[in-house]
Amino acid sequence: MNRKSIVELNQICKIYQQGKLQVTAVDCLSLQIAQGEFSALYGPSGSGKTTVLNMIGALDEPSSGDVIIEGKTLAGMDRTALSRLRRDRIGFVFQAYNLVPVLTAYENAEFVLALQGVPIRERRQRVMSILEEVGLADLADRRPDELSGGQQQRVAIARAIAPEPAIILADEPTANVDSATANGLLDLMENLNSNKGVTFLFSTHDQRVMDRARRLIELKDGKIASDGVSP
Amino acid sequence: MTFTDLATISWRSLLRNKRRTFLTAISVAFGVFLSVTFTASGDYSYTNMIDSSATMGLGHITIESPNFNDTPSLALSISQTDKIQDLTSAIPGIEASFSRILGQAIFASGSKTVGGQFMAIDPTKEKTQYNFFLKYIEQGHLFSEDESRGIVVGAKLAEKLKLRLRKKVVYTLTDKKGEIVSAVARVSGIFRSGEDSIDGSMVLLPIKRIREILNYKEQEASLVALFIKDQRQATDIALQTSQILQDDSIKVLTYKETQREIAGLVAMDRASNYFLQFLVGLLIAAGILNTILMNVMERTKEFGMMMAVGMSPGKIVSIVLIESFWIGLLGLILGALITLPFYLYMSEVGLDLSRYIGTDYNAAGVLIDPVLKFILFKESACAIVTGIFALTMAAGLYPAFRASRITPVDSLKSI
Ligand SMILES: Nc1ncnc2c1ncn2[C@@H]1O[C@H](COP(=O)(O)OP(=O)(O)OP(=O)(O)O)[C@@H](O)[C@H]1O
Ligand SMILES: [Mg+2]
Repeated sequence: MNRKSIVELNQICKIYQQGKLQVTAVDCLSLQIAQGEFSALYGPSGSGKTTVLNMIGALDEPSSGDVIIEGKTLAGMDRTALSRLRRDRIGFVFQAYNLVPVLTAYENAEFVLALQGVPIRERRQRVMSILEEVGLADLADRRPDELSGGQQQRVAIARAIAPEPAIILADEPTANVDSATANGLLDLMENLNSNKGVTFLFSTHDQRVMDRARRLIELKDGKIASDGVSP
Repeated sequence: MTFTDLATISWRSLLRNKRRTFLTAISVAFGVFLSVTFTASGDYSYTNMIDSSATMGLGHITIESPNFNDTPSLALSISQTDKIQDLTSAIPGIEASFSRILGQAIFASGSKTVGGQFMAIDPTKEKTQYNFFLKYIEQGHLFSEDESRGIVVGAKLAEKLKLRLRKKVVYTLTDKKGEIVSAVARVSGIFRSGEDSIDGSMVLLPIKRIREILNYKEQEASLVALFIKDQRQATDIALQTSQILQDDSIKVLTYKETQREIAGLVAMDRASNYFLQFLVGLLIAAGILNTILMNVMERTKEFGMMMAVGMSPGKIVSIVLIESFWIGLLGLILGALITLPFYLYMSEVGLDLSRYIGTDYNAAGVLIDPVLKFILFKESACAIVTGIFALTMAAGLYPAFRASRITPVDSLKSI
């Protein structure tokens, strides 16, 4: 099967200057993510998972090497172009602080669509059906502080999938929720992946996430230590 | 994302910290209150000073011989004042006009002599509301048309010359050709304004008689004094007047040129008033800046997240600036609510300051009404509203800039 490549990392390095010390967070790493993957980056704390995810998500620039998203090289793109790319092609689910606190679940879910300028009626249809899908149709009018951690993550997932991005990057999405909630979130994402073909890339410590991921990429000191289809 | 969406985020974010927002808006409201108080009392008292100064002889606008303003002399006159009055009466905004002769004279009675000024007027045309001295006649009355020998003298001058009603006084002046002429008059009225320098030197004489004495032709006079409804239009109306008259032998001047002391005083006072308001405005702006900056700093992660999912820095700037705008608007509404009752009271009733400043308080020789009232000119109200918004928006600029510089990676890291 020759699936379309969504992410391509070519020899990327990320070096931080800390005073006189140079910290190599990501060390000459190459990686490809194809459409429809449900993959996880794992490894000890400080191994570079978040840094890699941020570079894929056009939030951070590599010190050297190329990040290519859907065939487009990010190097040389200006701030506005990168912002557009994130808006239109990448979905983000963070560990926390995912939602705009003053907007309701519904408004948060439609946030990116609103940024894209999707007409209100179309937005309404799409968002309502997505909220249905993530199981939050009844809580659409609640603000984030009136939702549980798991419900908040569901809203974040709804917001991420609403614009139908090429890939969803989820940095430790289950780190702040209990086991049952984590399983529920994983069920949801697994379903989105298998039913709608949404591509996911996680970073995680969480064994439950690793159990579900179909490809496991192990990072150690900013390098890939192992990469393989999960047994 | 529409403007409404951004405005909604801004508004709700402000409501997250109601107390802080309210206190900041109150400080803006206080600024509105101060600004209205300063400006409205200024607008009122300047108008009052200018109008009252105009009634002392020259009007808001004076039509006179080109050199009369710099070197007043009875040798400098204008002719056909009736025609001038006719032509100017059609100009909108002009309420009244009077031909007058102004000059120096020496007054004598018994063995006493005093130097002073006279204003020759037409008793059939003059009206109290446009003539300061008539307002203050305390004994007798203004000479009638038939009383060609009448004179109205200031109370202090009367005292110096030991004059009473119907007493004789001799006045001496220099006529058009430079010859000295004298005439006799009989006191028909005495005025007392309370301002000694005026009461001690000023007299009113019948213009018909003075024309004869000075060898002036009929309709010849020193000047035509124009009174206008709204002193702010003086310059415009003066310009129109000179365009309509089209005459190089006359000059049209506003009170700013003929009554420089009062115009200067008003300009100075207004400038210091504005400066004071500007300082208060800066203080309030500093408060707004502090509030908005706190709002921004507390939301670093939120802004970082919004930018991560694709919001442009420009939209972040908009959100913050709209927050400033909301504070300005809220402050303006609160300000209007607290200011309006006070303003209405002050514009209707006013504050009687005569207990503190007396009834003969004067500025640059012009008596000032001891009742302080408010008038807020439309342009002043606009200036206040514009100023408030300019300051609040300016206060939001730096926080907005800071917010736009937030980078998602750094802000999301410290979870
Ligand atoms: N801004 C920075 N300045 C200096 N060093 C940094 C910076 N950001 C990350 N690092 C370093 O880069 C390395 C990789 O960090 P990264 O956050 O990617 O790790 P991680 O695998 O996501 O860890 P965790 O599981 O704790 O989230 C770490 O050694 C970290 O200290
Ligand atoms: Mg991490």
